[in-house]
Amino acid sequence: MNMFKRAWWRLTAAPGRTALMTGLFFVICTLVLSGQLIRSAADRAAAAAQEQIGAVATMSLDINAALESGKLGGDGSGTGQMIGPDLQLRSDLLEELGTSPAVTGFSYRVESAGQPGGDLELYRAAEPPPGADTSQGDFLRVDGVRDSAAMPVFRTGSSRLVDGAPIGPDTADDVVLVEERLAEANGLAVGDTTTIGSLPGDGTPGEPVEFTVGGIYVSDATSRSNYVPAIAEPGNQVYTTPAGAGRLSATGPTDEGAVVHEATYTLTDPSALEELRADAEALGLDPELFPLRLNDTQFEQLTGPISRTAGIASLTVWLVSLAGLAILSLIVAGSLRDRRHELGVLLALGERKPRLLGQHLVEIAACALVAVAASVPASHALAQAAGGGLLAAEVTANEDSAGAGPEDGLARTAGGPEQPKPEHEPIDELDVRLTPADVGAVTAAGLGIAVGATLLPGYRVLRLEPRQILTKGD
Amino acid sequence: MTTTTTITTPATTDDQPPPSTAPLLELVGVGKTYPAPGRARGRAVLKEVSHGFEAGRMSAIVGPSGSGKTTLLSLAGGLDEPTTGTVRFRGQDLAALGLAPYRRRHAATVFQSANLLTYLNPVQNVTSAMEITGSRRRRRRQHAHDLLDQLGIAPEDRGRSVLQLSGGQQQRVAIARALACDVDVLLADEPTGNLDEATASDIIAILRGLAHDGGKCVVVVTHSREVADASDEVLRLRRGRLART
Repeated sequence: MNMFKRAWWRLTAAPGRTALMTGLFFVICTLVLSGQLIRSAADRAAAAAQEQIGAVATMSLDINAALESGKLGGDGSGTGQMIGPDLQLRSDLLEELGTSPAVTGFSYRVESAGQPGGDLELYRAAEPPPGADTSQGDFLRVDGVRDSAAMPVFRTGSSRLVDGAPIGPDTADDVVLVEERLAEANGLAVGDTTTIGSLPGDGTPGEPVEFTVGGIYVSDATSRSNYVPAIAEPGNQVYTTPAGAGRLSATGPTDEGAVVHEATYTLTDPSALEELRADAEALGLDPELFPLRLNDTQFEQLTGPISRTAGIASLTVWLVSLAGLAILSLIVAGSLRDRRHELGVLLALGERKPRLLGQHLVEIAACALVAVAASVPASHALAQAAGGGLLAAEVTANEDSAGAGPEDGLARTAGGPEQPKPEHEPIDELDVRLTPADVGAVTAAGLGIAVGATLLPGYRVLRLEPRQILTKGD
Repeated sequence: MTTTTTITTPATTDDQPPPSTAPLLELVGVGKTYPAPGRARGRAVLKEVSHGFEAGRMSAIVGPSGSGKTTLLSLAGGLDEPTTGTVRFRGQDLAALGLAPYRRRHAATVFQSANLLTYLNPVQNVTSAMEITGSRRRRRRQHAHDLLDQLGIAPEDRGRSVLQLSGGQQQRVAIARALACDVDVLLADEPTGNLDEATASDIIAILRGLAHDGGKCVVVVTHSREVADASDEVLRLRRGRLART
């Protein structure tokens, strides 16, 4: 008890020093707790976002891996590269992979194209300039999908069905979903029939293939005010079944099913990805050529700014903790030097050295505990204000970088994967909540700093000998 | 039941020490050498010092500056260890007893500067010492007041910071602190060095009373003739060797 009593007497006898120490701890604890609150808010937001979006893995041919493997051979004409059968994803195999316990739903996309024919005209937002050759791009873009609702553009909401029914595994082969602009241009409604010309690809004229409009959807992708080839016009995107897409191409489905360009698997949990990868490999899908990647683009869009804010907060927590430990260690070391005489007196009386350190620790821990209590309301306000400011800056930076990206639709024309327009706005509000766990964490941090700051310079106390301090040594 | 130490302040020195008994504190062939730059063997401050200090007697150690008086007192008080030889308390080697336990239970040192804890008042200084030494007194605070009263510290001064006390008052508080621990050996290093003549006389009387009436073994290092004259034996240190005068 004497140790505690002396600590109390010391703290009350030097109120200025006590206030300084408490104030320093208050600053450290407030910053640490603020960082902790921002991190907690970010974690909660990330968990909510994950729940909202789910975990979706995509599989497609990795062209670079195919090139490195040497399986992507020349076609002999010197004009390009041929994707042979062993580099083709087949729908039958993907259907089998869809039965994996790790999967809750899946779809895939078969790329195709169609010519206007019969009564179907292409949608044009702007007429081509006089004399322009439009023959190279005047096509409909046709995607055969197993489950339209599971495709990224529909899943994320950048395309929405406004009439009819989505395409599913049981949908008839001749059903199409047409974009609202194409439907209006041709006076189409759900249940109407229309004709799309096939593209044999061998220079021969295509055959008209009849389809039934099963649904009309609207896309957020806007038409350009100047002329673009029809295939780059978002209004000319048509969805049908994989078999329907096969009816328009020269190479229809084989015994192994249609050639798939991209498959998406909705997982039970992001951690189920490894299980799905193992199942894919077991089915003979080379993980190098057909990698499964967690499609976390939407997750990133949602949580990117708040995660970066949390990263800054985490860095702040560490920097402040380490700086606090260093500063307090120096202060305690200085204090021990100043109190050398006092320590010598106590040692001469027979006080145990660990108790001398204990008295210091009690003094500093008492300051720390008062500071922790005071930092609770302060850090809540600081986390809300500073975290909100940081997050707003990150959201703005995120929007700026997103605005600098390729425009929707053009990436697809260049051969890239389909890029759904970001549906989810980034999280731009911090839900700062103070929980007992947060207070416990900062209390532990404060006491940890107090212990470290006492024990680090404490070796000096253990080396003290009262005679050296209290006598002149003759 | 609490015990109290009775301190008398004799005006004369007609009180007699008890008859010689077995030494309470004994130095046997004690030597102390400090490291010294340029000297491989170091600087020998004490050489083969042997002497026994008895309970109930006041001993004075005199000698020129640098003769090793403070070093001898440090070894006797358990503040330091000898390089050679042994220091024994009731026949037991301090190295085996442990210096810190020896200081806690058996020996107290009063320094030339009082060496009080400056953030405490006189009462707190005394009670802190009692708590450190594990004094079993129940009413420590009352005992501290009793001791301070006997040593002439006025009640109004006992709650003040020790920094506000005079040198003589501080020295009295230091003695009260030493007495509070019920130690057997009281060592004092130049206890009157900073004091005026009247206060010094009071302190000398107190120390003598502690030896003769309190049964303590009192050892005082001093330059003061008055202190030497008041002591039961005077030992002279010269070039690290002890001789009775």
